Amino acid sequence: MQNYNPEIVKNVKVIISQALKVDESKVTPHSSLVKDLGAESIDFLDIVFRLEKTFKIKIPKGELFPEKLLTDARFVKEGKIMPAGLEELQKKIPDADWAEFLKNPTIANLGDIFTVGMIVDYLSEKLAPANK
Amino acid sequence: MRFKSKVVLVTGGSRGIGTALVRRFVEEGARVYFTYLSSKAQAAEVVRLTGKPHQIFALACDVRKKKDVQKIVDEILEKESSLDILINNAGIIRDGLFLTMSDEDWSDVMETNLGGVYHFCKAVSKQMVTQGGGKIINISSVIAELGSCGQVNYAASKGAINAFTRSLAAELASKKVTVNALAPGMVNTRMSSAARAAFGDKIKDRIPLGDFAEPEEIASVVAFLASEDARYITGQIIAVDGGLSLLCRR
Repeated sequence: MQNYNPEIVKNVKVIISQALKVDESKVTPHSSLVKDLGAESIDFLDIVFRLEKTFKIKIPKGELFPEKLLTDARFVKEGKIMPAGLEELQKKIPDADWAEFLKNPTIANLGDIFTVGMIVDYLSEKLAPANK
Repeated sequence: MRFKSKVVLVTGGSRGIGTALVRRFVEEGARVYFTYLSSKAQAAEVVRLTGKPHQIFALACDVRKKKDVQKIVDEILEKESSLDILINNAGIIRDGLFLTMSDEDWSDVMETNLGGVYHFCKAVSKQMVTQGGGKIINISSVIAELGSCGQVNYAASKGAINAFTRSLAAELASKKVTVNALAPGMVNTRMSSAARAAFGDKIKDRIPLGDFAEPEEIASVVAFLASEDARYITGQIIAVDGGLSLLCRR
């Protein structure tokens, strides 16, 4: 995260540590929100609410953490994400660590690709002057 | 002063149980916002009676209307840094036998009693999640579990509130937001006056404790549920009914 605006990084770390009740020192760019920091589904909403408030932005439903996509029968079958679903997900979250996830692309493992760095990436893009 | 520095929102606070709730929380130090539907004079009287106008604020609101509800919550959060306790109390009855019940009587009751709970929970829970905790208390009714002739609409709305309460409690628990419901039996209010007048001692005969509750007695239990003493209680429907739900006859 050192290449990013330090203000964004600092605020994201505070938000994650407060929302997930974890020590700030444990929040690193590669921390998986689910696997490393113990996030549950409602925590994703909490993080979105806090990001909106702190950065004074509106994050449309499903833009940061895709959710609707995972209940779409075209994209998911028996807990496994189908090629069409993977394509959609990769479009939405281009910066995630897909190589590891593609070894076993199940919904249960999807949480692992949501990392702290992914949120910083998203915000950096969203807050960039051209996108305002 | 259990609720000093707490911010409380009570829906339907201009009469009956709502007024008792407003007074109780003001007495215990909270800053209390309450909604009323139409009687501005009645709401002003509630404010006056507390003797603490700096601590209590009346807001006109039709709880059936999502936009009105969001506006009220936004207004409160512009002035306050938190919203700690929500008490969904606003409710109506439109009693009548099911076979002749109008669609309007059905939808009025559902939209006010259940819709109001939905809109306020929706508007407030986001704030409670991000502030790291809160208390939601829904006023249900013992009728939700007992059934009552002429109250299909009311019973359905209160039964739905119970189900809503349990599921929302499960969703918000990890964020330290507790959601409970209180199910009063027969309470000495204007809303129950027709039933009390019509059936009088017959109703009392079915209540093991033998009399009606006063609104203040309902407010006492709500205050407990809103306090830190109830930290470990969530998703529960607490009957405050003098034993009516035991269905025993004396």
